[in-house]
Amino acid sequence: MQIPRQTVEIFETLSKGQFICSNSSFDLTRRLYEVIDEYFDDLHEYFQGINFILERGDEYFCFSRAESKVDLERKIETAFKWIDILDFLKTFDNSFGSGFRFTPSDILVKLNIDAELKTKLDGLKKHGGGKEKYDEIIEKVLDLLAKDNFIEIENEISNTYKVIASFNYLEKLVMAINIPEEVKNEIPE
Amino acid sequence: MNTFSSIKELLSTLYREQKLLSEMFEKRKTLSYKYDFALEMVDHEDRIQSLINHSVIRPNGPYLEIDDQFLQFFEMVLEVNEEINISYINENIQNVKDNILYYLQENNENRKYSYLRTVKAAFRKIGLITIRNVVDLKRNVENTFKNEPNYKIKKAKLENLDRKRIDINSLIDQTERLISEEEQTFFKSALDEELKQIIIHTRLQLNECRHNLIEIQKQIIEYLNQIKYQSGIIEKIRQIKYLKDQFEIRSKTNLIEVLAKNNAAILEPNPSYPLKLSLDYLQTDDVAYESIKKVSKRVKMGVRLDLPIAENISNEYLETQIEEEIQVNLEEVKNGFVASGKHLFEFVMGYDFAKEIPFDERVTIYCQLASQYEAVFNVTEKFNAQREFEFALVYPR
Repeated sequence: MQIPRQTVEIFETLSKGQFICSNSSFDLTRRLYEVIDEYFDDLHEYFQGINFILERGDEYFCFSRAESKVDLERKIETAFKWIDILDFLKTFDNSFGSGFRFTPSDILVKLNIDAELKTKLDGLKKHGGGKEKYDEIIEKVLDLLAKDNFIEIENEISNTYKVIASFNYLEKLVMAINIPEEVKNEIPE
Repeated sequence: MNTFSSIKELLSTLYREQKLLSEMFEKRKTLSYKYDFALEMVDHEDRIQSLINHSVIRPNGPYLEIDDQFLQFFEMVLEVNEEINISYINENIQNVKDNILYYLQENNENRKYSYLRTVKAAFRKIGLITIRNVVDLKRNVENTFKNEPNYKIKKAKLENLDRKRIDINSLIDQTERLISEEEQTFFKSALDEELKQIIIHTRLQLNECRHNLIEIQKQIIEYLNQIKYQSGIIEKIRQIKYLKDQFEIRSKTNLIEVLAKNNAAILEPNPSYPLKLSLDYLQTDDVAYESIKKVSKRVKMGVRLDLPIAENISNEYLETQIEEEIQVNLEEVKNGFVASGKHLFEFVMGYDFAKEIPFDERVTIYCQLASQYEAVFNVTEKFNAQREFEFALVYPR
């Protein structure tokens, strides 16, 4: 088994629940992605020894475990938070997904012309840490996403964010939830 | 309506209005070139009118637009057409077929030659138009995918372009069949070197088109899949959000099951690894030594000096002591005096105070009473004397 010398960095990043994406704006992360891609089998086996499963997603890598370490309630809470945010972002722009670039002011501008978006942002207040102003709530929500490593700030000067490949994970999670056909019929268009 | 009588007239008219026409051509997509703008561009209203009369441009409400005929011509020649029109190829194929028929039936060599020439021109055109169509198709597919914001329209447009692709493909097949199967007699009998070259060239072009079309097909399928996936996600999120807001998501979906199976590290709280430091490292490493010095300095700075504490206060100071003093209640003395009927000095001298009061103090009390209750006493002009004091006689009023 051959272990690349970047294994420490890979472990440090992934074990914190972060992702390593192929389209990250940071050179280091991109290089790590290439390294994992090259040594995937070896690393997979290596990390299995310390009870982490290296998972290959759509243009990203992340860790998971064989058995759960957190209780279900916490997971559900996290998932609910993501669903709220995801719903908001997809309302902001249908094509919001990996590779999408935006600035918080884009969202603010859209707020003025889209009442639905505004209602949804009001609904996000509970994740906004007690903030009342729209721009502060947006900032807080984007902070949450950036901390979970789904978006990255690409340009500090223009305050441009880039959605990275780990966003696919969120979409995949949502798609994995199955709604029975008869329930679907109850949901209004 | 006037028509242009010669190509020269047409060209000169177009040249004269080149500024206006190029401006309008550039803005053809917005479809809102106002008549007033046009007036600014030309010197005289008559010139616009003349263009309208020759149906180069057409009024449309308050706007002007270039006539379709001219617009198509410009777009075709400049290779910027948006519409993929396959009827041209179709027409040309029919044209080739007809001319081949004429060629075979004609006996006059001269005429035969002119038909042959038409066939050659038609083949050249088929190759060219097909290639241009394919290029347009590719550009349109990409434009549609990247620029069309509405998912439903985007999908419909792409499907439409896919149909165009199938049409072009079938026309290529038709041309191929025409060359290699249907008109064998013609191609064998018309032994013309140039025709052969053109045919080979056309076939090469068509082949290239076919390869391009395969690529375009792949592209369209991928785009359609992406759209389907994206709109699928949007739809799904909407449904899930609805169920969540109705508090039904736990009971009506398999969310719990999905999350129970999902053990990704991101769902865990950030881990911390509180490890003890290696003693060896602390004792040998220079960097560690520096750190220790730093920390030690900080710890020293934090030391507070003990302030000297004062001794206890002795209990003696805290004990309560009672001291009694008898005060003369002047009010009571006055009341007694009012009831007595004696004069004040005599009364005060004879009053039985609670304690022994010497003569001097009794004189003071007399004075206090006399001054304090002056209003209720009757101070007379008579004087008495006792010892060395002379005093006024005071009676109650």
